[in-house]
Amino acid sequence: MWDRILSDARDEYARFLREQDAPTASFLEIGAPPQWSAPVSAEHDDALSASRPSVTFPIAVKDNIAVKGYHLSCGSRMLQDLVSPYDAAAVTRLRHAGAQFVGKTNMDEFGMGSSTDTSALGRTSNPWDTERVAGGSSGGSAAAVAQQLVPVALGSDTGGSIRQPAAFCGVYGLKPTYGTVSRYGLVAYASSLEVVGVLGSDIDHVADTYRAMRGEDAQDHTSVAVPGEALQPAAADAVKTIGVLQGDLGLDESVARNYAATAEALRDLGYNVVPIDLSTLEYVVPAYYTIAAAEASANLARFNGVRYGHRPVFSENPEELMRQARSEAFGDEVKLRIVLGTYVLRSGFQDQYYTRAQKIRTLIRRELDARFGEVDLILSPTFPVQAFRHGDQAMDAFQQKVADRFTGTANLAAIPALTVPSGLEGGLPVGMQLMGPAFSEEKLFAVAGRLATVQPVVFPDGSRSFDEWRTANGAGGGA
Amino acid sequence: MDTSELKTTIDMAMLELDETQVASLEGAVGQMLEYFALMSGIDVEGVEPTTHALVTANRLRPDSPRTDVDPDSLLENAPDLEDRLVAIPNVL
Repeated sequence: MWDRILSDARDEYARFLREQDAPTASFLEIGAPPQWSAPVSAEHDDALSASRPSVTFPIAVKDNIAVKGYHLSCGSRMLQDLVSPYDAAAVTRLRHAGAQFVGKTNMDEFGMGSSTDTSALGRTSNPWDTERVAGGSSGGSAAAVAQQLVPVALGSDTGGSIRQPAAFCGVYGLKPTYGTVSRYGLVAYASSLEVVGVLGSDIDHVADTYRAMRGEDAQDHTSVAVPGEALQPAAADAVKTIGVLQGDLGLDESVARNYAATAEALRDLGYNVVPIDLSTLEYVVPAYYTIAAAEASANLARFNGVRYGHRPVFSENPEELMRQARSEAFGDEVKLRIVLGTYVLRSGFQDQYYTRAQKIRTLIRRELDARFGEVDLILSPTFPVQAFRHGDQAMDAFQQKVADRFTGTANLAAIPALTVPSGLEGGLPVGMQLMGPAFSEEKLFAVAGRLATVQPVVFPDGSRSFDEWRTANGAGGGA
Repeated sequence: MDTSELKTTIDMAMLELDETQVASLEGAVGQMLEYFALMSGIDVEGVEPTTHALVTANRLRPDSPRTDVDPDSLLENAPDLEDRLVAIPNVL
């Protein structure tokens, strides 16, 4: 279907995107059709290309991933006018596979937030209830998929930034194993934690997009090759045992109910669902934010208004220029994390905070390694609450951070994790998280595919597919 | 963190904030550092720190020229140019 739309109905599809994006404002930029595809040189091609799946659908891209000719704002005033002169490696690989890139989606500034409300460039809302947030930081990508604007969108995930908005909007969200997708062309926030991943409304599309992007890349020295045995699709019964977390997890009642129901659904599908304990869970968030802030303070040091980005109207000297540029263009959340990161890296404080957090990271990895000796996958909630309202005082910036405990675990341990839509509670979607050991993406897809037979993706009433929109507009016929 | 430590850290981070902004940041930083203190509740004696979970060694790419990014297109994003040089205020 999509390949015909992308060859015969691009102008009409572009009009659909512009019209249907209005209620949620998930896009920061929608490209004109000639901008969607670009020639790719064979230079980036690799030996695996022949075995990569075809990905002939339109893809939206979070605005911290470079797509040549599009802006690369990171949701910040700092980079508001920056136009990318090159493609991210993931984008290049998807171009080879046939994808077209229709636009850039809104996000929390530099990926720092869980609501997309820290974006300096616009407010994105949840398609299920526009008074509520789409989640974050890849909120624009999640909203665009849930609104049926695109079948797939790219996001980045540092501590849950793909999986949490996917849960809030009722779509799939994959955070791959660290390094399996090149970070070349992803604007760095916390380099040891973050990864490019996929949001989508169909698990097969999500899986194919990941398969087309994965693989070692000479341009990212932290990228890794996926071992041969992990490249092939897994059978759903390759997974036998799934662990579920015990005890008081601090969940809202609706999420707790849904968690129990999803565990029961997996049991009904034939999986051996067993209770497990993660004693390091309470240390995930402080360790995660210590490391993330430290890396952010180093990575964002490059933004100073000299070579690109925001520059103040007048400065007496170069140092004043840099200080003014950063002070004027960064938002409050970004400043908070830069200052925190600078502090935890200062001489005299490093052992107390940064080094200690890295040691806790080791303990978290060890505990997960031990659990994956007992179970194949772990099921947890993605986030303790459903989508909250814009400006909700009970979910202020601090509470949003504390709530990252389930998602942050996978980033600290570098393992893959997938949010699966698990139905509605009170008219809003809920998502659950499946985590597996490194390189177990294919097992996550297999279980998600089986779960979709009893918990299918549903779309909000106000959304329309392109075909439905065409019919309503008198164009008639499916593309 | 007391106010003077905070101001020193803000300076090291190449930021310039007024008193109102410093006061607002002080509350948020204090709340996070208090939260970070939870980390003292777990014994890490003798544990090796993890810097990158899956990366074991540095790896370099071949030292060869690349042609995929045009230098002129990079200069198009510069806020101020004189010919093909990025312009900044006078150093002296």
